[in-house]
Amino acid sequence: MTQMAHDLPYLIPEMVVLIAGAGALVFEMLRLSRAALAFAAGGLLLATGLTLPLLGVDTEVFGGTFRIDTLSIWAKLILLPATVLSLLLARAELAGSDREGTVYSLLCFVTFGALVLAGSGDTMFLVLGVLLSSLGAFALVAHPRNDAATEAAMKFFVFASVTGGVMIFGLSYWFGGTGSTLFTDLVHLDKTPLAATIGLAAVITGLGYKASLAPFHFWAPDAYEGAPISVAAYLSVVPKIGAIFALAQVARDLPTTTGWPFVVASVAVLTMSWGYLAALVQENVVRLLAYSSIAQAGYFLLGIAAAGASSLALASLVVFAAAYAAMNLGAFAIIQCTGRTLDAFTGMGRTRPVTGIAMTIFLMSLVGIPPLAGFSGKFLLFGAAIDAHFTWLAFVAILNSVLSLAVYLRIIVPMFRPRDEGGETVVQLHGHMLLIRTVWLIALIVSLGLGLAAQLLLGAID
Amino acid sequence: MFPIVSTTLFLPLLGALSVMALRRTPASVVHGIGILTSALVLAGALWMWSRGVDSGGFSQVEQFDWIPTIGASYRVGVDGISLSLVLLTAFLFFLTFIFSANVRERPHAYVILMLLLETASIGTFTALDALLFYVFFEVSLVSMYFMIAGWGHEDRQRAALMFFLYTLLGSLPLLLAILGLYLGSDPHTFDMRAWIASPPLTGTAAMLTLVAMLFTFAVKTPVFPLHTWLPAAHVQAPTAGSVILAGVMLKFGAYGLVRFALQMTPDAFRQAGVVVLVFGVFSALYGAFAALAQSDLKRMVAYTSVNHMGYVIVGVAIAALTTQPAIRAMALDGSVLQMVSHGLVTGALFFLIGMLNDRAHTREMDSFGGLLKFVPLLGWSFVLAAFASLGLPGLAHFPAEFQIFLATLREEPVALIVILGIVITAGLYLRAIGKVFFGAPREQWAGMPDLNAREVLTLAPLLVLIISIGIAPSWLLGTIHQTTAALHF
Repeated sequence: MTQMAHDLPYLIPEMVVLIAGAGALVFEMLRLSRAALAFAAGGLLLATGLTLPLLGVDTEVFGGTFRIDTLSIWAKLILLPATVLSLLLARAELAGSDREGTVYSLLCFVTFGALVLAGSGDTMFLVLGVLLSSLGAFALVAHPRNDAATEAAMKFFVFASVTGGVMIFGLSYWFGGTGSTLFTDLVHLDKTPLAATIGLAAVITGLGYKASLAPFHFWAPDAYEGAPISVAAYLSVVPKIGAIFALAQVARDLPTTTGWPFVVASVAVLTMSWGYLAALVQENVVRLLAYSSIAQAGYFLLGIAAAGASSLALASLVVFAAAYAAMNLGAFAIIQCTGRTLDAFTGMGRTRPVTGIAMTIFLMSLVGIPPLAGFSGKFLLFGAAIDAHFTWLAFVAILNSVLSLAVYLRIIVPMFRPRDEGGETVVQLHGHMLLIRTVWLIALIVSLGLGLAAQLLLGAID
Repeated sequence: MFPIVSTTLFLPLLGALSVMALRRTPASVVHGIGILTSALVLAGALWMWSRGVDSGGFSQVEQFDWIPTIGASYRVGVDGISLSLVLLTAFLFFLTFIFSANVRERPHAYVILMLLLETASIGTFTALDALLFYVFFEVSLVSMYFMIAGWGHEDRQRAALMFFLYTLLGSLPLLLAILGLYLGSDPHTFDMRAWIASPPLTGTAAMLTLVAMLFTFAVKTPVFPLHTWLPAAHVQAPTAGSVILAGVMLKFGAYGLVRFALQMTPDAFRQAGVVVLVFGVFSALYGAFAALAQSDLKRMVAYTSVNHMGYVIVGVAIAALTTQPAIRAMALDGSVLQMVSHGLVTGALFFLIGMLNDRAHTREMDSFGGLLKFVPLLGWSFVLAAFASLGLPGLAHFPAEFQIFLATLREEPVALIVILGIVITAGLYLRAIGKVFFGAPREQWAGMPDLNAREVLTLAPLLVLIISIGIAPSWLLGTIHQTTAALHF
């Protein structure tokens, strides 16, 4: 019982998130969608505030199965505000629709799952986290209840079931090899390399599907396309970062003698290149950004491949996660008020210059052009990779950055081109502009500020 | 001491912000802000120059912590090499703003981008922190991309994209090199002065880093065979864009070659010096021959840039190869002076071709003839700039090229074959002048107006400087030499 008294205070933010989700559900039952939104957003912000005192703590709870460390604390500080922004985007898009409050509630629960993933110190928590974050995500994708959304959710669900099954199957080998489910016991796997390899492949499968790593990414473009844009924005950020951080937790304890860094590096190359090559041919901006977010997941893997070998690795993951959350949510917010096709963006930069410039900044940040946030993140990731003697990987990542420029210029170039004669000249605005503007304005401030003031974040991580 | 370097560096940014704030003001006010801001920047640069530089090392250094966790700081300062390039930059931007005062197409965005480009350019030359350098280096690409894409000629989208992809692909290896130097330095720092004082890498690591840097700077300079983006970008860019691209941005590559490659990996550069020299020689000759084959005036001048920058590369390579400090200083003096001269001369030529294009809407030499009769001021200015470009004694390129060739003769006489480039450029300029300005006057151009006050104001200072560097280069060489004479590695 005393152990419980020690453990629980560390988990207050997570509990507040759960209460926020449950409370939103209660308000939805009372048909008070606005109150549901306020309760959920307020709860998430409260949880963010309650996380701040934990900064610098490095401990574990429940016998080492859940960690309160840099990764899990920063996961809260990044994912909770990102979820609040997603709530605002969802409100702008779905206000007045059926079961609006359930969306807010589901967003809280899925975020809870992502937080569990980011802090897991035990294979069972990995399974739990994947389940918690997936179940709600299926419902979110299916929310519009039309054919496209239902099909997308089905695809998502089937994919998740198979990869989840594979992961649990593979994890049993790790349990067999070490006699324990704790990550800290993974060191013993150097005696049973085969079990280590099978387990690793399985973990990459299970978490790779969550993080949309190639070749487990097939669900993502379809799901994002079928889902509401706000949900796509959310799925491309929150569960993905949760899964990446979970992978980092595994990577920290897995002995490098099993050769896993090379495996991760190979997946990184495949993911980055595939993502951008596929993005080059998309006409639908949501699909384009879906493939872009697949490719960006590959960049995260640079930090994971370097985990344990470079002191920059964890910091680079956190900085890039914060940057990625800001720039990706910002870009999706602007899609939400512009349209899903590339054609909708033609001339947008001329009729609405401020929005156009903001979108340009988000996309340039995704490329990694200094002095934007994406550059800070990528720069540290490259540094971590080189520090861990993965210079070739950094080089491939850099080549992909050039490829990514071609991808993002496909949106930027038409934005500043005049609309053709006879085309629709009046730009159609979708949803509640005020909410959307608030979201992208916040994202813009972070994208600009984090590039110039990276020290604020780096100093806090140490 | 007043932080004049930072003030000069961020003044254009301030100007850009004020233009952003004044969204409804008429174009004339916006252009006025541009001219005023760039005039203040020029004053700042002259102030820096009046303070002078110390021999050996950097002076007027200003710094504060930026990302202390990884050892990156905001550090700026100048030495003789960067100061002369800052002067060139401030000067060219000022004239460009005067020239562009008639731009009526989205003037706000135009001035904002140009001012952003000015901050990025001055920042690139004054940064003493590698991360800061990289930031400015890349921001300049973005601004130039939008300049070409927004105000260029017919095929601008493709040219802008090619420019951006090419130079971004080109600059990323530099990022790897910077990371390599950073991880090699002990303690980890991005301080360029520390890297210069004790080069952090040796052996294979240094060579790989050098190769990465050479790749970047070769694209930027540009050196054959990585020059293919240049003619397209130049031809499609608006006149102001071409002037800045040739006058300022091509210098990033040559400056980086001296500042990074030569000073931070000197031993590796010495080993690879001959290869660099061969590329420089070939590039200079190739540029001259390619220019000879052009009938479009702007394309022709664009290719002569490849030729002129080839001489700069030759000078830097000679400086790396030689063991005698006197020859090294001579070669570097020549290279840096060549950068400045090229900025002035090519800037003047691009302005003139832009003026011609504004009047005739064509740049094909065959469609002109006898223009000197109708536009004597424009014509004689072009003749003067062209003569300067082909290296006539008494004009800006001569003292620079003379020093480069003299150092080459003393160190690597075989490479003097590069001097053939002068003969070819002389031929092509004489042909161009003959076709465009002499010969039978065509009645078609009879009504062509000569230079107006704005254009004279743009050109006259350039021509005065071209002559004064040609006759008495010592006023600028003195500053450059203070630094080059003290270099030791």
